Amino acid sequence: MTLLVFAAHGLGLLLLPSLFIGLLNRTKAVWAGRKGPPLFQSLFDALRLLRKHPIYSQVTTPIFQLGPLVLLASALVSSAFVPLFGGRALLPFTLDFVVLAYLWGLGRVALMLAALDTGSSFEGMGASREATYSALAEPVLFLALGALGLATGRRSLDEMLHVNLSTLDGLVIGIASFVVLFIVVQVEGGRMPIDDPTTHLELTMIHEVMVLDHSGPELAFIQYASALKLTLSAAALATLINPMRGSGNAWATAATNLVLILSVAILLGCVESLVARLKLRAIPQYLLAGFIAATVALLLAGWRVGAGA
Amino acid sequence: MSLVFLAAIVLLTGAGLVLLPLSNPLRALVSLVSQGLASGLVLFAVGPVLVGGTPLWTEIPWTYPIGRIEAGVDALSAFFLAWSLPMTWLGTLYAVGYLRPQFASRNAGVQFALLNLTALAFVMIYTLQNATAFLLGWEVAAVAAWLLVIWEYRNQKVRFAGFNYLVSTHIGFFFLVAAFMVMHSQTHSMTFTSFASFFRTPGEMRSVTFLLLVTSFALKSAFFPFHTWLPRAHAAAPAHVSALMSGVIHKAGLFGLLRFTLLMGEPEPWMGWFLICFSSASAVVAVFYTVAQRDLKRLLGYSSTENVGIAGIGLGIGYLGLSWHVPLLVALGFAGGLLHILNHALFKCLLFYAAGSVYRSTHTVDLDRLGGLARQMPWTSALFLLGGLAISALPPLNGFVSEFVIYSGLLSDKVPAGIEQVFFVCVAALLAFVGGVSALAVTRCFGLTFLGSPRDARVQARGESAWSMRVAMSAHALGIVALGLVPGFGLRLVRAPSALFLSLQDSVDVGSVARISELIAPLAKGSWALIALLAVCVAIRRALGARGTTRSQVTWGCGYQDVTPRMQYSGTSFSASFVDLFPGILPQLRRDVPPDGTFPQNEAQLRTHSVDAVEQRVFEALDEGETLAARASSRISEEPRFSFGLGLLVLGVLVAAALLGDPL
Repeated sequence: MTLLVFAAHGLGLLLLPSLFIGLLNRTKAVWAGRKGPPLFQSLFDALRLLRKHPIYSQVTTPIFQLGPLVLLASALVSSAFVPLFGGRALLPFTLDFVVLAYLWGLGRVALMLAALDTGSSFEGMGASREATYSALAEPVLFLALGALGLATGRRSLDEMLHVNLSTLDGLVIGIASFVVLFIVVQVEGGRMPIDDPTTHLELTMIHEVMVLDHSGPELAFIQYASALKLTLSAAALATLINPMRGSGNAWATAATNLVLILSVAILLGCVESLVARLKLRAIPQYLLAGFIAATVALLLAGWRVGAGA
Repeated sequence: MSLVFLAAIVLLTGAGLVLLPLSNPLRALVSLVSQGLASGLVLFAVGPVLVGGTPLWTEIPWTYPIGRIEAGVDALSAFFLAWSLPMTWLGTLYAVGYLRPQFASRNAGVQFALLNLTALAFVMIYTLQNATAFLLGWEVAAVAAWLLVIWEYRNQKVRFAGFNYLVSTHIGFFFLVAAFMVMHSQTHSMTFTSFASFFRTPGEMRSVTFLLLVTSFALKSAFFPFHTWLPRAHAAAPAHVSALMSGVIHKAGLFGLLRFTLLMGEPEPWMGWFLICFSSASAVVAVFYTVAQRDLKRLLGYSSTENVGIAGIGLGIGYLGLSWHVPLLVALGFAGGLLHILNHALFKCLLFYAAGSVYRSTHTVDLDRLGGLARQMPWTSALFLLGGLAISALPPLNGFVSEFVIYSGLLSDKVPAGIEQVFFVCVAALLAFVGGVSALAVTRCFGLTFLGSPRDARVQARGESAWSMRVAMSAHALGIVALGLVPGFGLRLVRAPSALFLSLQDSVDVGSVARISELIAPLAKGSWALIALLAVCVAIRRALGARGTTRSQVTWGCGYQDVTPRMQYSGTSFSASFVDLFPGILPQLRRDVPPDGTFPQNEAQLRTHSVDAVEQRVFEALDEGETLAARASSRISEEPRFSFGLGLLVLGVLVAAALLGDPL
């Protein structure tokens, strides 16, 4: 059984990110009236990139090549703490979400340093924005996770997401946390309305501009790691609203969760098709909305626990 | 205990010897040998105590002002002694390489003697249990640090920074004296053991004394808002002095707090809340400043305030755990705080040493002028990166371990339900924010100093630093990696001192310390998994790259052909998007000469300068106060001004008498 779980997890890590991005892009294509690329296009792209010979800038040091690898390794380790199939995570432990947040921080720093290594003013700009907005998103994420921890009385990510949505305050906490996590996904994954992954003007980019000089296998690693992080966040969101969790039926839970993960992709695609990118100055205000939602969840959770005791 | 005294005598002898007319290399050797010997003796004596042996205790009869000196080494003293002296030794080793260019022209004897005295001050502060003798050690450390800072005393700025430090540290000293006076008036004794009898009973006097002590220790450890002297002093001092002050000497403040906590027994809840709020404010405000600084050493100075804040949060958790009678919180709080103190000493010294070797090579630490140093200084850059990752608490290094223990306290399910839990979650969110901002600051200062291409053609790097500097840095790096990858090792070091705080409670629950090991056991596995996966990724990348050659090109300039290194993001521009969000905390002085007209003939200019908000506000308040006083006095006509002043004085006396007269 354990072997089966590990195999499913591995297969999910391999295919889900690509499918997630494919579905997201397909949604955008449908909204735009296009046919869109195949669902597994990003996988084909990655395989093509892996065969290419990269070009390195003369200014760069080994950090430029190491950065994407650190990003990939940290994202892979963090996948062990996320309930990909709605039940338990692969290797959960107490306060694993703190480790997850800091692992992603490590990946981010590695990527920012790789960007600064090129000495390009555009990449410096991207790194500066990434550092600023992720620093602002960090406390919002912790407030929401703290609220979930208080509401469930658990301290590992997979169990914390199992909020009881059948009571009114549980429902409010769940919805507020969903909003917060959704906003954090948009910041963390560089999606609209924070960052436009398909823009063509470097001056407006955040994520894409940091990888301007990366090519070949390094670019493939970065794109896969970003897609993986997006999928993991979507899995957390899916588990939060999964109606089958706790029912004891692992297969049904897993199937529902997969459907929900893909629904998150469609939701993200819809948001990206219908909403314009925010002005950079307005991003902190957008995060403020998440902050307020997180505070509501936290206060409610604290009040409920305090009243119960 | 006699070994510790022997160490003190060795240190004093060494200090005396290096002042003799010898050659500078010989002086360095004498200092290193004496300090090495003393460190060995102290480690041999306190090692058993640190791993749980019986504490050492002795009393020495002394002459009049002190009477009798009690000296003792419990697990807390042992913990601080065990790393303070070896780190001072490493600092001296670093100083040999750092001062080497000046050996021909300057007498370095005073520097080495003062380093010996600093080590001696540690022995005194951490072992003496008599208030008068303790103050003496405190003063030795302060004055020695001051004299070390003003090594480049011919520079007026350095002298100013030195005096700024001297004044601040003595304000702290007065608070400490005041606290001791209060305790002396209550107990008629100057020994810590008799202080304990007064300090154990809650009351108004105890609260006042506690506040006096906290103020004094906060000044020593440079908590916000008592930090303003620190970035100045750290920027002015030689690198080894900045490192030792920030990493080792100022930890004496936190030691003092811990020592008096042990004397106090069970604190009142407000003390814990006070400590947590105070420390969180320090951590958050200081981390803001690390983003805005252009001077690498000032930046590192501010980060000291941030890190003592983080350690203080841990201690605050421990305080509340004691008040609430929750042994797990006591263990997590104090163990996390103590571990963070040690970790900070490791990575902060490393970072200051690396900054010093940048200074030795380029003669500047201005971020906006540096760049691309990784090519000329591979050792320094790799070590700086390691220290930087550790200080922003990223896994798998040591900073993350201690912050994880503190997080475990903040997010523990043993925290009383209700507003307490909500508050703790908020503090955890603040800590996460501090981590994120500190990652920004580290990316910025490492990326701009060592990566990219040089921003200023006038700055010439003179290659890698001297071997003694590299040895000292590598030793610290080793500690960072070891404590990060084997968290159990660090936990072993703080186990006995944390158990001391647990034993303050009536119901001794020694199992709580053991539970920390369970909590952080997955951390080690995660770290190793990360390293293993990284190795696999590197191997895959190697296998992919084996099939062809890679090509080299210029950096893609997005179509623009005439790119120059000046166009790179500078320190100011990198932090601009963050700094602009918080104008209240990060005020900027701005001076600009805009271009005039459609076809400007003049040379346009823009200068921005990030200043300390606390200092800025003090000056603003002074300025406004002066204007206010001038306006008020101009309203009063010339003639009765004297009588008006006299009347004000009488009124003041009357009010004071009314307020204070009652208890008399």
